[in-house]
This record gives sequence, structure tokens and C-alpha cells, in this order.
Amino acid sequence: MTMDSITLLIQIFVSAAIINNFVLHYFVGICPFLGVSRRVDTAFGMGCAVTFVISIASLLSWTLTYYILRPGAPLPAWLWRVAGGAESVTVDLSVLSYIVYIFVIAASVQFVEMYVRRFSPKLYKSFGVFLPLITTNCAILFTCLEILKQLQDPMRLWGLAEALTLGLGGGAGFTLAITVMAGIREELELRDVPRPLRGAGITLIVAGILAMACMGFAGVDKSIETTVQYLLH
Amino acid sequence: MATGFTLLLAACLLLVLAVAAAAVLGWADRAFHVEVSPQLEAILSALPGANCGGCGFVGCAEYAEAAAAGTASLTLCGPGGASCAQALAQITGSSITPTFPYRAVVHCAATGRQRLPAVKPPYRGELTCAAANLVAGFQGCTYGCLGLGDCASACRYDAIHVVDGLAVVDYANCTGCKACAKACPRNIISMVPFKSDRMLVVACCNSDNAPAVRAVCPIGCISCSTCSKKSSLMHMEGNLPVIDYDAYRDESDFVEALAKCPRESLIFVGEPHPADLVKVAGEELPARIEADFQTTVDDTQWWG
Repeated sequence: MTMDSITLLIQIFVSAAIINNFVLHYFVGICPFLGVSRRVDTAFGMGCAVTFVISIASLLSWTLTYYILRPGAPLPAWLWRVAGGAESVTVDLSVLSYIVYIFVIAASVQFVEMYVRRFSPKLYKSFGVFLPLITTNCAILFTCLEILKQLQDPMRLWGLAEALTLGLGGGAGFTLAITVMAGIREELELRDVPRPLRGAGITLIVAGILAMACMGFAGVDKSIETTVQYLLH
Repeated sequence: MATGFTLLLAACLLLVLAVAAAAVLGWADRAFHVEVSPQLEAILSALPGANCGGCGFVGCAEYAEAAAAGTASLTLCGPGGASCAQALAQITGSSITPTFPYRAVVHCAATGRQRLPAVKPPYRGELTCAAANLVAGFQGCTYGCLGLGDCASACRYDAIHVVDGLAVVDYANCTGCKACAKACPRNIISMVPFKSDRMLVVACCNSDNAPAVRAVCPIGCISCSTCSKKSSLMHMEGNLPVIDYDAYRDESDFVEALAKCPRESLIFVGEPHPADLVKVAGEELPARIEADFQTTVDDTQWWG
């Protein structure tokens, strides 16, 4: 593994976790962010569950995209040549990306849920209830589509390591955002919020302020790149 | 040819994925099967499945486990209500003690005219109970209802109104949400278990001694403790009688206490008695009831 690829991995991780935080920058995964952010411990559990599912999803979606769905993927190309087609034509199955991602993620999460329930009841109790809620959460689909975007561009063909790092970073960023949000909401419970804003109103305002605070990280990725390169060389 | 091939390939891919997922999940369902007691499954199917968390557990499944284990009360499910509790009791083979709805009770019966004014310049502040409670000169009684309607504006069910300068609960609408009790700055609204349609309540909260009460109110409790001597339900706490609602029954011995009360501090609230309804059946309501702007708060004054 070269220095450049390590730099790229760190950059992807920090970018997904903080700078381009899924919730606070792209506004995906808002429903669990608003719905399960009442208490810090459940919010953290939700964050862990999302991280877990995003990692599985990025693993599966990279594999499927790399070998089957992206333009010029090996499996369709091989079948095309077996069928006797011309070399110059590339078969593109990326139209199927949405349906395949949702299908595969839902099935695999269902499988994991059954497995965890059978072999680790304790783990099932701590985040099993969240798993069905987030199977095809938009943050997770967003990760898959981001990976697809990277794989459609032959100039920066991501490997499995990059895809997994994006998933882990995105999950870590989601956990960070939802835990911070839950902490603020726990404090807000004790505050005298103006009556028309109680409940959803103040929650959305807090989310907006958090998103604005997150904008402060814009541009940090470039300096991270130089710092990491400096440290490694 | 390329388009046809892509279409065919897409269809085949989805078919293969579907068959594979079905096979794997079907196998996993049998291989990872967890034995659940039939009782637990029955409880789970008897619960509404709303996963609202109102019972204090995370979702219906966790409550079902606690109910099956006997560690949780069977009457916790709000959406399911009494029928759900009954079903749970049948499944678990235990009996449930009936629970009663808690309803708001205003512990003051003096109308605005009966509550004597304070011997001070008239109150000219904001017309809310919270503001009027801050100063001493609003009215003589420093315990009783202020009649400015903080409770009425807190109520989301239109179940409490200021009538003649006194907060009156409409028991047809009250859901027992405690919003009025929280809004009242004098804490004179409490929640009482309604064991029947009509409940006896202590309609005074002035804990001063008799001369002080007489000075400010013609009907307030003068702590004569007659009721506590006549009825086993009541005992005196400070200068006020307290009704023991745990022992309260419709046929309890409070009739004599009620008759002997020299003031109007013991009253019934809730559904009117049929005899009283007959008595007022002949009276006619005025065609139009004028709002008493002296003592009610109109929210519009805040917004201009």
C-alpha cells in the first residue's frame, strides 16, 4: 500500500465523518437523526447500528458494482463476449443500481438480524430494534450511490478499502451528529422553549444551527492532505 | 442486439438475486430459529404493535417480555386500553385490579364575586394567573383560584373554563393530561382517581386558620374538623380535610360529613346527580351567554 493511498483513505474517512458529514452536509438520514435523538444512549445505539449497516452496505455494493453493475464490469462483458457480441460495445447495467442496492441491503440486514438474534441476544437487544428501521435508510443508499459514482469514473476507480472507509467514516459521522443532537435535546428538555417552537420546531432549528457549524469545516480536507503527507514522509 | 442483451441480462440478474436471497433467508430463518414461548407470542399479538414506548419499555416486544415475566404491570399499554389489559390478563392467567381514570380537580369553589378583594389598590397588571400570583394584592385569599384562566389556555381538550371567575373542569372532555395542574401557579389543581362518575372532593385549599379564612372567603374551609369526625374517609392535615381515595367507595360513610359541613368545602364533581338534573330541567338557559371580560384572558391581547 503506497503512501498516496493511505493519504486518500484518511482523507475519505475525515471527509465523510466531519467535513462532508452525511447528516449535516448532505442532509441524508434525517429521519433517524430527528426521530431517535431524544436520549444520548439510544442515539448512540442508533449511530452504532447505522455504522454497522453502512459498512455491510458499502462492502456489498462495492462488490456488486465493481463486478456487475458499473459500465465495463467484468461479468457482463464476459457474458457479452460469450454471446458473441462485438468487443467495442460496453454493457452498462448501472440502471439497476437502485433496485439492486435496496434489495441486497434489505436482504443482508435481515440475515444479520436473524444471525444476531440467534447467537448474541445481548447485542440483539441493544441494537436489534434499530436494524429493521434503517435497512434502506437514505444515508445508507447515499453511501452506495457515492460508491457507484466513484466506480463509474474510470479515472478514479475505487478499491474495496476506499469503499469501506467511506462507509465507516459516514457511519462515524452519523454517530457523532446524532449523539451531539441528542445531548442538545436532553438539555433542551429543561429549557423554556417558546411554545410555538416546542417539539419539532426547535429540533429543526437546532439541526440547522449544527449544519451551519459543520460548514466551518469546509476546506479542511486540503490541509489534512498536506498534514498527512508531511507526517508520513 | 446490445440493448436486448442488456435487458435480458438485467432480468436474469434480478431473478438470480431474488432466488439467492430467498434461499439464503429461508435457510437462515430455519437455521437461526429462536424458540419463543407461545405465551410471549400471544402477548405480542395482543398488544397493538404501535411501538410507541408509552409503557416505558423500548417497543412492544420488550414490554411483552416484561409482562410475560411478571415484572411489569399488565395495564401499562395506553393505546391498547382496558381491552388490551384484559387480554393480557387472560393470557398470563393473572387478574388485574381495575384502574381508574385520573381527572383534574380544582380545589376551590369560590366564584369571583365570593372571593373578597384585598384591601389594597386594585390589580392592574397582566391578566394571567402567573403574573397575578406574583403580587399580594390581587385578591384576599392567597390560596384560591385566581380566575384568569392559565389552566384554560393550557388545556388542549377544551375541558377547563373560567366560569364566574372560577376554573371549572368539564369532565366530559377532561383526559387527565395534567396540563392545567402544571399551568396553575397556585397548585390548586390536583389529579383524583375517578372511581365513579361523581366524586367527593375538598373544594378549598386555604390552609390558614378559621378567622383568617373567614376574613377573605364566605365559603372556604374553617378547619372545624367535623367531617373528619363523621367520616372514616377523612382526616385533617394542617387546617384542611384530606380524603383517602384509596378507601373511597360510592357507598362510603361521607353523607353525614357532607351534610354537617358548615361551609361549602366538600362538593361533588363530575356527572351531575339525576335528581339535580330533574331539579334544573325546568330552568331555561339564557339565549346568549356574555363573556365576563373582567376575569377571562383573551389570547389576542398578546398579539395586538
